[in-house]
Amino acid sequence: MRYVVTHTTTYSYDDDVTDSLGVGHLVPRPTPAQEVLGSEVLVDPEPVDLAADTDCYGNTVTYFQVTRPHRRLTVEGRSEVEVGTPAYDGDALAAPWERARPLWHPEAPGAWRATDFALPSAGAEQTDEAWSYAAASLRPGRPVGEAVTDLMHRIHADFRYDATATTVTSTVEETFRHRAGVCQDFAHLTIACLRSHGLAVRYVSGYLATLPPPGKDRVVGADASHAWAAVWVPGVDEGEWLALDPTNDQWVGDRYVTVAWGRDYGDVPPVKGVIFTEAKKSTLTVSVDVAPVAPVGTTAP
Amino acid sequence: MTVLRDYAAAVTQPALVGGAPPYDEVVAPDGSLRPAWKGLAEIAVGLTDADLRRVQAEIGRFLTDDGVTYARPGRSQGRWRLDPVPLVLDASSWSPIEVGLAQRAELLNAVLVDLYGEQRLLRERIVPAPVVFGHSGYTRVVARPDAIDPRPLVLAATDLGRDADGQWRVLADRAQAPSGIGYAMENRRVISRVLPELYREAGLHRMEPYFWALRSALIQSAQGDLADPRVVVLSPGTHSETAYDQAFIASTLGFPLVEGSDLVVRDGWVYLRAPGRLEKVDVILRRVDAAWSDPLELRGDSQLGVAGLVEAVRRGRVRVVNGLGAGVLENPGLMPYLPAACEALLGEPLRLASAPTWWCGDPAGLDVVLDRLGEIGEGLIVRPIDGPAEVLLDLSVDEVRQRILAAPYRFVGQDRLTLSQTPVWSRGQTRPTPVTLRTFTLRYGSAYRPLVGGLANGWDDARSPTSMDVWVLKSDPTDPDQGLSGVLPMTAARSVPTTVPRVLEGMFWFGRYAERVEDLLRLVLAAHALADDFRARPRSTGGASLAVLMDAVHRLAGPSPYVDGDLDADFRSVLLDPRRIGGVDHGLDGLRDALRGVRDQLSSDTWRAFGTTDRAADALEANPHSHQVAESAGRMLTGILSLQGVTASMIRDAGWHAIGLGRALERALQVAHLLAATTTERRGIDVDREVLNAVLASAESAVTHRRRYRGYVRPTGVLELLLMDPANPRSVTFALAEARTHLAALPGSTGSSRPERLLEDLVAELGSVDVAELVTIGGVERPNLVRFLDHFLVAIGRLADAVAEVHFASGPAPRPFGGGAG
Repeated sequence: MRYVVTHTTTYSYDDDVTDSLGVGHLVPRPTPAQEVLGSEVLVDPEPVDLAADTDCYGNTVTYFQVTRPHRRLTVEGRSEVEVGTPAYDGDALAAPWERARPLWHPEAPGAWRATDFALPSAGAEQTDEAWSYAAASLRPGRPVGEAVTDLMHRIHADFRYDATATTVTSTVEETFRHRAGVCQDFAHLTIACLRSHGLAVRYVSGYLATLPPPGKDRVVGADASHAWAAVWVPGVDEGEWLALDPTNDQWVGDRYVTVAWGRDYGDVPPVKGVIFTEAKKSTLTVSVDVAPVAPVGTTAP
Repeated sequence: MTVLRDYAAAVTQPALVGGAPPYDEVVAPDGSLRPAWKGLAEIAVGLTDADLRRVQAEIGRFLTDDGVTYARPGRSQGRWRLDPVPLVLDASSWSPIEVGLAQRAELLNAVLVDLYGEQRLLRERIVPAPVVFGHSGYTRVVARPDAIDPRPLVLAATDLGRDADGQWRVLADRAQAPSGIGYAMENRRVISRVLPELYREAGLHRMEPYFWALRSALIQSAQGDLADPRVVVLSPGTHSETAYDQAFIASTLGFPLVEGSDLVVRDGWVYLRAPGRLEKVDVILRRVDAAWSDPLELRGDSQLGVAGLVEAVRRGRVRVVNGLGAGVLENPGLMPYLPAACEALLGEPLRLASAPTWWCGDPAGLDVVLDRLGEIGEGLIVRPIDGPAEVLLDLSVDEVRQRILAAPYRFVGQDRLTLSQTPVWSRGQTRPTPVTLRTFTLRYGSAYRPLVGGLANGWDDARSPTSMDVWVLKSDPTDPDQGLSGVLPMTAARSVPTTVPRVLEGMFWFGRYAERVEDLLRLVLAAHALADDFRARPRSTGGASLAVLMDAVHRLAGPSPYVDGDLDADFRSVLLDPRRIGGVDHGLDGLRDALRGVRDQLSSDTWRAFGTTDRAADALEANPHSHQVAESAGRMLTGILSLQGVTASMIRDAGWHAIGLGRALERALQVAHLLAATTTERRGIDVDREVLNAVLASAESAVTHRRRYRGYVRPTGVLELLLMDPANPRSVTFALAEARTHLAALPGSTGSSRPERLLEDLVAELGSVDVAELVTIGGVERPNLVRFLDHFLVAIGRLADAVAEVHFASGPAPRPFGGGAG
């Protein structure tokens, strides 16, 4: 599938901001299942500095600075991608999950690099509760693909999607307490559960193209940025990363646009920054649009 | 008997308990002196208890005069402790240390380059990945496959200990922002003054050339080929544990000491926020831990850092020393793997061994540590790879076992060495005390060079350190100091005046507090003189005058906490009580704090003032007699007045003008307060005369007044002299004229800036005052005078606020923002 993604983040302030520095993860990265055909990041007011760099995980990071006094800052990422459905090695998925623990099997190819995603990180605290919850899925010797998919099903069944239950800084413990959350919380929950048993798991930030209800038109801008988890599965080269979306109870397929991955949300927020201002209030609005595009040579239905 | 003989006799007693005895740094097992001490024997052996007691007292005085402080984590600044007996090493025992340290720094630099770039050590499993990825010092935002900094390690510190076999071993590496080299230099300065004969005789390596090399290395570490790179020392502020060390380095090297709020990033470059312009910064000697150094990409809640610094570093536009990722080297989990890393990266065997260390993430290492858990507190140290052993201190063996098993990769076990011992002077005798040696290694030119010397610490039973100077003797008197013959002395050191707003503010408060304390001390002296005469006769006119003066004291220093009117207790608390806001101790504290923030800009003589005031305060604490109040207040005044000498010889830059402005405004304020407390009421001719005389005395204008008015003391004359007289430096008119000059010289003053306008209004108002009208009586009061002074005090306060707003504001603090995910 081919998509044009537009992700607009707007901050409004009740007083002048004299200096605003930010970093964004807004440019999708190429993966075996995803080709990036074009991308740009626009900042308004005009930045004095706008630069792209590749971070230690291979994500594209955009750095910007605005020094013209402003009460509104808009950061817009636009990109066009061609996405397919990832394929995984069947034998690798069938191996016992215990083999996929890099600290137990440091000799496995790629284990050293996967280690970074097996250790605790601030945003996905490995609570005892997470360990117990995951233990029901991670039965001894169970194939890794099956075990983590089972965990995904259970999270989807046991936790309610509720945007009012949590905030951007909510913890795994809070998600358990409310039995509810949003995609970011479910991704962190999955990470905490699996890492507490030694698996290596990435937090993946991206987008999901939503299908309009039958008979309705697609509403532009109604989409949201999305997040899911990817589990390290050794076997092929340095290993594969099985991407699963507990929010929608499915493996990541060709409706998913991958932007960036890290240990947790903190490594790859779409936009974060520092402002210098006397302003008391700021409001944030985010609009995301994932528009399907017919590939060249086909005609619209 | 002399001290050293006593010591030798004591340590050669056969040990009562088993186990290998510690290595002694002074005395060989047969009771003879170690070779390094033999050359010093003639003088050293002659030192008696009395000598050392005298030397120790002198050390205390020098350290106080130099204002040397050190804060334990979580405590306030306290005095630095220095033992009179140095740790002495001869050239032959130093040489393997030197070679080993140079190699280690080269290795650590190579490790750093690898871990943040190619990661060969991890890929080839020479270093286990969890040791690095699990360490809080690993700074991912500067990790890039194509990292551009080939020399992230410029200054390393390594803590060494000598085991029972006499072998030096590494206890810990310090690479984040190594501290202590300033203390080492200060120790040398003091010891060379208190033991001059010994120092001269020793033939040891002087330290100065090393500082020249350090300066040169920092300048050369600028990226590109700059003619005159700007180097700054980034400090977390005056409350840092090692604030003294930071300021010492900054002022010795001639680099400005800055805080995060003094710097700003624009377009990927780092600038110093000078008033009206930005000055590019090329090299930052960092004393802020990496995690706190950029609120944009590291800890968002940090107010110590510079937003955008990481980006500037990644683009190679500023060099941070040491590199932001260097903290990962402070990792005992690396120690077991350094021999292999050395073979892999440098192709040579590791020379300087670490204390035996086991990483628990390795199954074999885990077994060793778990087997030996019973030895914790004795032969084994267990600690997290990125935290102190203290976090496990109160846990039982089983609890420690559980902690380790929950995350084995987080922990190491390390042999606790039987450290070598050296004499440390304590409570009237020298005791054999375990010693560690902090060494420093600098990237100078193309090689790493250890400081020939260091900072030794003796550890008493409470694990509380006493520092020692470290003397490394030359093998030949003609050897160049530090083995550095080609280094240029620092005569060319460019003195860089820093007029960032924070520094100007510090200077301004220096002026204000110095003036405030001075004026209050004079008032206390005048009041105490009256008290001496009249305290026993409260109903006399003198007693009534005394009460007025005490009101003036209380107006400035807060009400007396003593309800029974105990005058001496009141005076003492005005001078000594830190909780008495507005009192002398409180003012001195504010002064000290202001000065610490600008320490690098000031002569080291500055701190002598506090040596004097501290001793005066100690004397007052020790002596219960009333006359000691005047005695100590007088000596405190002497100390404070010495600051005038410091400012007199300062360059006339913006900082100097800020001090002058602070002084002038404070003086105007103090005089107005004094007049408001003493001259607005009529109390009868005799009392008024007595009070006015005391006012004149405390405003240092008694002589002038007597000459001008022939001893006839009237309010009109006093007000003429203290309010209006443009020639009397103690008058408000004079102070405002001074303030006008200083204010005009501050960067940012335009002739019509708000502070200048407010000051002009004040001057005009004062100029239009008719003293005859002011003293007009209405009832017991002088209503015109009351109204005028009230108004004046408010206006001065407003002026001071305006000055702060225009000249000292460094803008709002950084605030993080983010966005959500679905």
